[in-house]
Amino acid sequence: MDGPHAVGYARSARGRVGAIARYTALVVAALLFLLPFYLLVRNGLGSDAEITAPDWTFFPTTLHWGNIGELFADPSVPMAHSLLNSGLVSVVQTIGQVALSSMAGYGLARIPFRYSNGVLAAIVATLMIPAAVTFVPTFVVVSSLGWVSTLRGLIVPGLFSGFTAFLFRQYFLSFPKELEEAARVDGLGHWGAYWRIVVPNSTGFIAAIGVITFLGSWNAFLWPLVIGQDSSSWTVQVALSSFMTAQTINLHELFVAAAVSILPLLLVFVFLQRYLVQGVAESGIKG
Amino acid sequence: MRKPNGLSRRGVLAGAAGLVATGALAACGSNTGRGSSGGGSGPTVSQWYHQYGEAGVEQAVKRYAKAYSKANVQVQWTAGDYDTKLATALVGSGGPDVFEQSVAKVDQVRAHQLADLTDVFGSAKDDFTPAVLDAQTVDGRIYGIPQAIDMQMLFYRKSWLAKAGVSAPTTLAELTSAAKKLTNKKVKGLFLGNDGGAGVLGAVPLWSVGQSYLSDDQRKVGFTAAAAAPVFAALRTMYSSGSLLLGAPADWSDPSAFTQGLTAMQWSGLWAVPVVQKALGQDFGVIAWPKGDGSGALSVPIGAYASTVNAKSKHVDAAKAFAKWLWVDKTDYQRDFDLSYGFHIPARTSIAAKADKLSSGAGKDAVDLVQQYGKVQATPGWTSPMNTAYTDALNNIIRKGSNPESELKTAIGKIDKQLSTLYK
Amino acid sequence: MTSRDVADRDTVHGSARDRRRARRHGRQRTWPAFWVFVGPFLAGLILFTFVPIVWSAVLSFFDAHNTVTPTRFVGLANYVDMLTNSDFLASLGTFSVFAVFIVPTTVAISLGLALLVHRLRFARAFFRSVFFLPAACSYVVAALIWKLSIFNGVRFGLANTVLGLFGIDQVPWLSSASPPWYWVALVTLRLWLQVGFYMVLFLAGLQRIPGELYEAAYVDGAKPGWQVFRYITLPQLRATTVAVVLLNLIAAYQAFDEFYNLMSSARGYPPFARPPLVYLYFTALGQGQDFGHGSAGAVILALLIGIVTVLQGKLFGFGRRD
Repeated sequence: MDGPHAVGYARSARGRVGAIARYTALVVAALLFLLPFYLLVRNGLGSDAEITAPDWTFFPTTLHWGNIGELFADPSVPMAHSLLNSGLVSVVQTIGQVALSSMAGYGLARIPFRYSNGVLAAIVATLMIPAAVTFVPTFVVVSSLGWVSTLRGLIVPGLFSGFTAFLFRQYFLSFPKELEEAARVDGLGHWGAYWRIVVPNSTGFIAAIGVITFLGSWNAFLWPLVIGQDSSSWTVQVALSSFMTAQTINLHELFVAAAVSILPLLLVFVFLQRYLVQGVAESGIKG
Repeated sequence: MRKPNGLSRRGVLAGAAGLVATGALAACGSNTGRGSSGGGSGPTVSQWYHQYGEAGVEQAVKRYAKAYSKANVQVQWTAGDYDTKLATALVGSGGPDVFEQSVAKVDQVRAHQLADLTDVFGSAKDDFTPAVLDAQTVDGRIYGIPQAIDMQMLFYRKSWLAKAGVSAPTTLAELTSAAKKLTNKKVKGLFLGNDGGAGVLGAVPLWSVGQSYLSDDQRKVGFTAAAAAPVFAALRTMYSSGSLLLGAPADWSDPSAFTQGLTAMQWSGLWAVPVVQKALGQDFGVIAWPKGDGSGALSVPIGAYASTVNAKSKHVDAAKAFAKWLWVDKTDYQRDFDLSYGFHIPARTSIAAKADKLSSGAGKDAVDLVQQYGKVQATPGWTSPMNTAYTDALNNIIRKGSNPESELKTAIGKIDKQLSTLYK
Repeated sequence: MTSRDVADRDTVHGSARDRRRARRHGRQRTWPAFWVFVGPFLAGLILFTFVPIVWSAVLSFFDAHNTVTPTRFVGLANYVDMLTNSDFLASLGTFSVFAVFIVPTTVAISLGLALLVHRLRFARAFFRSVFFLPAACSYVVAALIWKLSIFNGVRFGLANTVLGLFGIDQVPWLSSASPPWYWVALVTLRLWLQVGFYMVLFLAGLQRIPGELYEAAYVDGAKPGWQVFRYITLPQLRATTVAVVLLNLIAAYQAFDEFYNLMSSARGYPPFARPPLVYLYFTALGQGQDFGHGSAGAVILALLIGIVTVLQGKLFGFGRRD
């Protein structure tokens, strides 16, 4: 449904003026929103002399694509390694979180069990307290497990999201029961119904949750900062943060590193935006 | 001793291990995230350095580590807030075996975080500069092997000062007026770091008015709010007058702001001399921090990062052996480390005597400054919580404009409290 | 977060129905299947959420400097210290100031953008994508751009370059605490990053408003523009708006990334502009290494947010995520 202009006042002269004003405002806003991306490219592909010049250079006279090579060749910046860590962490966390949460959500929504309510209440209780607030206690546990500065320590605590499990439960409650019952008649157990019927028919929802989990995981900072004390376990966010607060900084290299670090997510944006938008609307909290 | 019910560390660990083994998580169980290949046999020893700004240092220390044959040494180069990262790591189980820090703190020794290194020095002990060795000594035991002496000083652009008709400042009043005269639309007069000096100056403002962090016996606060307040008020005035450079991308330890011409004077250190020389040739000079008033002195803070062994390390002996090898035995590496990259003053007098690079030009001026005015910035008794209380007060005075005397009184109160818990 | 009540309500109905059905199917043993599905998740949740909370509650009663297995019981002393600690209270104050800036501006701008984008005939998807695009950036990347390029204090910073065009002197955006210019950087950063996200929520809300409502309004003589917005659009968006405000508040409460990256340097963090998590980070994991006070602080913060969440439910009778 598209709101007021359904009535057709937009064709009047007043409407035309309004439309021009609206597009002007939008274009100005869009330029403001794109400004930081412009800076990322300008500084990332410029030279330090251009970046720090007394007068503003609008764009580098020659694009220094070599900056990218320089970044990956610089032995004091573990860029390739931290990108790899980030990739591993976000992929495993996305798959793991979606798998664990969807199973839990399905169990809670569909499998009758005497203490199901209690389990659900326990999960719902965790929604009251955002995970970030408990990072100190979680660090205490994870460090006692000896998982500081390990990939395990980075990944595993992020696999269990009460919120995602809850979303899946809500979703499965509205999943048409007839489909599953047909499957049960065909002799499939709970697992068969879940795996053969429910999952294949929920790909849109799963993709939406998956995309937004990936986004949150790739961009996460506090937990990787706390746990990644050794530079071999830095994610790309921790690496960027360390180098921007460092004693010595190399401006063009930092900006090109930042630009490289958002490339994977820009790809997600270009190709999976539909799911991302759906994910935001579904969850309304993560990301 | 009280233990929380059913929550002993071991109990939780056992439970956790069970869960992990049975859960779907075992998949990523074996990847520790540590790439462990490299030269050397024997145990793997991890070694942390803070980030040195000068090009080549990182490669050099990795080269030294690789040359060691009795252990597989993994060097970690730590950018960012090194002190905080180190403190966090020392509590957890993933901490470094060998690391550098500039002072062995009393509370670290009390918490048994540092291994006793007294016996690794042997006859070489007398060769180390006593002042920096003292910074590693608590109750007669030595907890760190000094690597290289760093000093801080004020760099100034000779031609710009001449053009503005100001001479190199020797008093705080002169510094303030010079900074003001040197400021114009594109250039600021003075750079003391992005926080206006609150972080880097440390004890220097106190020295400039004849005060210090702690009393000589380390048991009492060494300054009074009334005596110290005027110098901080002067720093605040400078900060708010617009003649300080603030918010530069690179902080005080990096001479970029000075070489890029953003500022006419900058507080930095000896290590920056080669870079400044390359950029500005002979057009710069170095001086000590000026006097605050008649009772004070010209001040040059010195300090030395020292190689320290984590007492909780699984390989304390291997770590000690490595630290001894690199920082006591291998004098050729020490010379390379001190003089081949940025400039540092060798911590050992026998090496310092042969340091040609420090016998002419700005390098010589700096060494002269150290000999005349050099004083060790931090001492073992000055713990992190004390330093935090003090630095917080400086930040509040300089950056927020809070009342100097009452801020300093608050800091003194907190430091007193720390002292009373340390020496009951 | 906004849909807690539904859970409770649905649970009652849902599982009562399930139980009845289970009985009809004749005492099937369903608990093994239940645990296969829910067990792995629940085990992890217990280990990484419940155990930490309990452990932390225990630690908060101990003197736990430099250790997580302390032995000296101190009772409520840590709580008393934290609640009388001016720095901790100041961190709550910092959060409040931040929230006062960020919440109204976010709601206004994201709603404004949603209204503008919603009625577009051309380039609707383009504008939506542009405003949503910053959500792909991490706070770290945004902080890097803000700190080193837009709001650095020197002449080649973008903000200072623009001010320079008007003959205004360089402003030390992030260094200055009086006046606290750093808020400009902190607030604009978060706005840039999150308004597109909330705009998407508002767009979803706008799409759910039935067209007949507008038609009826015009028939009744309502003028397009403010009247329709005031009496139709805004009331219909009430649930979305409440959700956006709450999500925003909770997110601001957890603010860490941009504060840490904009304000800290190689020498640590200044004693101001510390939101609760930053303060906690440096208390428990910084050079203080004080897990007793850190845990007490964490418990206090968790309780505060728990209380707000419960109140939120009571006040807005939640459930509908619109």
